[in-house]
Amino acid sequence: MIGVLKSMATTLKHALDGSTFTVEYPDVAPEVSPRFRGVHKFSQERCIWCRQCENVCPNDTIQIVQDDQRNGEQYNLHIGQCVYCRLCEEVCPVDAILLTENFEFTADTKDEFIYNKEQLKNVPWYKDIDPLESREPDRGAWIGEGEGEVDYQ
Amino acid sequence: MFLNIGPHHPATHGVLHLKTVLDGEQVADVEPDIGYLHRCEEQMCQNNNYRHQIMPYPDRWDYTANLPNEWAYARVAEDLNDIEVPEYAQILRTMSVEFARIMGHMLAVGTFALDVYGDFTATFMYAIRDRELVQNILEDLTGQRMMFNYFRLGGVVWDLPEPREEFFEKVRDFIDDLPEALEEYHDLITTNEIFQKRTIGTGVIDAETAKQYGCTGPVARASGIDYDLRRDDPYGYYDELDWDVVTEDGCDNFARLLVRMREVEESAKLISQCVDLLEDWPEDERDIQSNVPRTLKPDADTEVYRAVEGAKGELGIYVRSDGTDKPARFKIRSPCFNNLHSLEAMAQGEYVPDLIAALGSLDVILGEVDR
Amino acid sequence: MSLAPLQADPVLLPETIARALFGGGDLAIWQEALAAFLGAFVVGNIMLAMTGVAGPWAKRKITAAFTDRIAVNRVGPAGLLIIVADAVRLLGKELIIPEGADRPAYDLAPLVVASSALLGFAVIPMGQIFGVNLMLADPEIGLAFVFAAASIATLGLAMAGYASNNKYSLMGGLRAIAQNIAYEIPLILTAASVVLFTDTLQMSGIVAAQQEPLFTVAGITIPSWFAFVNPFAFVLFVVANLAEVGRNPFDVPEAPTEIIAGYQTEYSSVYFVLFYLGEFLHIFLGGAIIATVFLGGPAGPFLPESLNFVWFVIKIWAVFLFTQWARSAVPRVRIDQLIEIGWKGMLVMSLANLVLTAVIVGVML
Ligand code: SF4
Ligand code: SF4
Repeated sequence: MIGVLKSMATTLKHALDGSTFTVEYPDVAPEVSPRFRGVHKFSQERCIWCRQCENVCPNDTIQIVQDDQRNGEQYNLHIGQCVYCRLCEEVCPVDAILLTENFEFTADTKDEFIYNKEQLKNVPWYKDIDPLESREPDRGAWIGEGEGEVDYQ
Repeated sequence: MFLNIGPHHPATHGVLHLKTVLDGEQVADVEPDIGYLHRCEEQMCQNNNYRHQIMPYPDRWDYTANLPNEWAYARVAEDLNDIEVPEYAQILRTMSVEFARIMGHMLAVGTFALDVYGDFTATFMYAIRDRELVQNILEDLTGQRMMFNYFRLGGVVWDLPEPREEFFEKVRDFIDDLPEALEEYHDLITTNEIFQKRTIGTGVIDAETAKQYGCTGPVARASGIDYDLRRDDPYGYYDELDWDVVTEDGCDNFARLLVRMREVEESAKLISQCVDLLEDWPEDERDIQSNVPRTLKPDADTEVYRAVEGAKGELGIYVRSDGTDKPARFKIRSPCFNNLHSLEAMAQGEYVPDLIAALGSLDVILGEVDR
Repeated sequence: MSLAPLQADPVLLPETIARALFGGGDLAIWQEALAAFLGAFVVGNIMLAMTGVAGPWAKRKITAAFTDRIAVNRVGPAGLLIIVADAVRLLGKELIIPEGADRPAYDLAPLVVASSALLGFAVIPMGQIFGVNLMLADPEIGLAFVFAAASIATLGLAMAGYASNNKYSLMGGLRAIAQNIAYEIPLILTAASVVLFTDTLQMSGIVAAQQEPLFTVAGITIPSWFAFVNPFAFVLFVVANLAEVGRNPFDVPEAPTEIIAGYQTEYSSVYFVLFYLGEFLHIFLGGAIIATVFLGGPAGPFLPESLNFVWFVIKIWAVFLFTQWARSAVPRVRIDQLIEIGWKGMLVMSLANLVLTAVIVGVML
């Protein structure tokens, strides 16, 4: 009986102190860490069409179409299929594809989630924060080669 | 009476189908029918290369405590390719994995309470709240709240977030508040007589049967089996740290709950030691990744099995290579799969509510059972 | 401070209405019937409005407070219009009737559950509002009538469980019966111990018997509410009442995590609303019985007698709050434990209570 009363006292304490843990979401925007991985942003100015991102992506989310001169024509990314692993950002040598902190995106049908180059360019920064500064991309591990045979894929 | 519990049932924690035969309200026979959440994880891993592409997937196996899964893959791939991991990265790994363990156990405690109480009662919400705090910390560290993808072969992807002091402070605040939070759970559930009445002596599985079913993790340790891979097959930084393996002799639902709650305390102990180490680590030795070749092609027909202690038990991965950059065979030994099948022995002759409670105390994650 | 004494023989609501409509004097039978109907309509609507507030809104707010959340606050002031939104949502849903359902029983069950609870309110003295006495009838056997009406709900639950053609529902229905039998008896025995004091089953008599001051401490007069006279019986009654209305820790007939809401599993749309209403009405009816039998009915300090309906509402909401509080912190017991507590614990204790009270009353009076 004492235990039961103690449990009831515990919940009552929470009820009476009036503090809430949840926030009123659209009014109170949650704190998002600078490292948070959200929708991608693409920069055509930077991209050198090396197709590394397309290569590394574990589930073929990125599709790049080039003309016979190897100039980029299309850059499509199915953000509904993406697993937000950030491997594309990690491999990109020029930071042309970035994962913003923006997690608020909706669509009526799944195919609307296939973003093309233009849509990817227009993805807004979350709260106008460019996460790149705080992420300090460290590519030492990527650029350096291990011992043994060099393999440039 | 034959009763289908699931696949759509509030207490099956995912999509699980229990074919149950009842005698009155008592369970005469129960057979878990799994496979509803099968996502071909093994096949997907076989189609992706070792170096980067497999790592995002382990997060999706046990999606309540994800980081130990990543470590399982990291460990097997590193041993397969002889990759060294810098010490600093090992500490980061140990710390983040223990955070993930707390996450998993919080959810386990919460959902177990949910199964016993019914409805979304206070305990569940408080557990989710504490889990949320861990998620905030891990979000700062890894950039995601569930699917962390924090490990890389040869280390981790990110060092601690700058400013480091702020992060340490955040972690310390959490660790300092944890005993109070745990006290609250003890007030709420473990000392509650009705709760004890419901859980003590129900869902009993003795050590011998548990071993035969291949139970590991908290389920085995609650039956008095002193087995923890972090100590018995040391990896990471565990053997340098001071902590204990938690065991209980109750063999019942209550003991499994207690093991989880005490393991949270142990994890907190580990984390605070890691934080101390990280804080004093010399600045120029903070290697988070070793040099790993861009493409990994292990020799053909090498076989490796490595396991780590996940939040649910021994999580092992078997890999056979065929000389390409992708595994020829990728097999996951998931702890939940074995734990779930011990339900058969636990629920024999129990009432339906205790079948549900036993299922909750096993803490099965269907994503890991079905892969 | 003393309590306002209740009128010895207050005018009942139908009579008040009849006087207002047709003046005094002898009334034709249709006039009386019409007045009674209007009275029932008024009382029924008060109770339905209260459940309307309690179900979609208050319950959410209370649960949220216990779990550190915010809950509804967007639709209307403090989220109150969620009641309208919820009503539209629930009524707009498709009414799905399972194949093989036992039709008349399946359709009748929600009606039985909801109406039985409303029926109970007929004899509850709810106090006065601006001098109008909100009591429909005051028969000699009031207390017995309330219990009889309230337990008809069990019939409804059993019907629902059996007629739904679903194994979970069947289990829920069977559990409901087992539970109600096990707890109805202690409930009535405990109430009987009060009747030993009052010498009457008439509700107004029971209320009137509680208006005497019991003793005075530091200028505050404690009235002789039976909760103070016999706290043991009060606790027993409150616990048994939790089981009677099927709330935690005794919500086994529903048990969403075990048998998926039991007898309600197959109900949707309007039928579900009726069940939902019936449930809340039952909690309030339980609260009303507790208030009447143990808490001095509508009596209370500060307010004039002509407004003591307010106290009545406060009391039944206090009981409602208590059920929600228990729900937040107390685990559900297992069905066999429930029956055990009922037959071996509550029944014995309530019998002991009855015998003791009988001895005391016999010696003292
Ligand atoms: S985040 Fe991962 S899944 Fe998404 S596009 Fe980049 S590499 Fe592909
Ligand atoms: S990796 Fe970067 S530069 Fe290369 S194609 Fe992708 S976005 Fe362009």
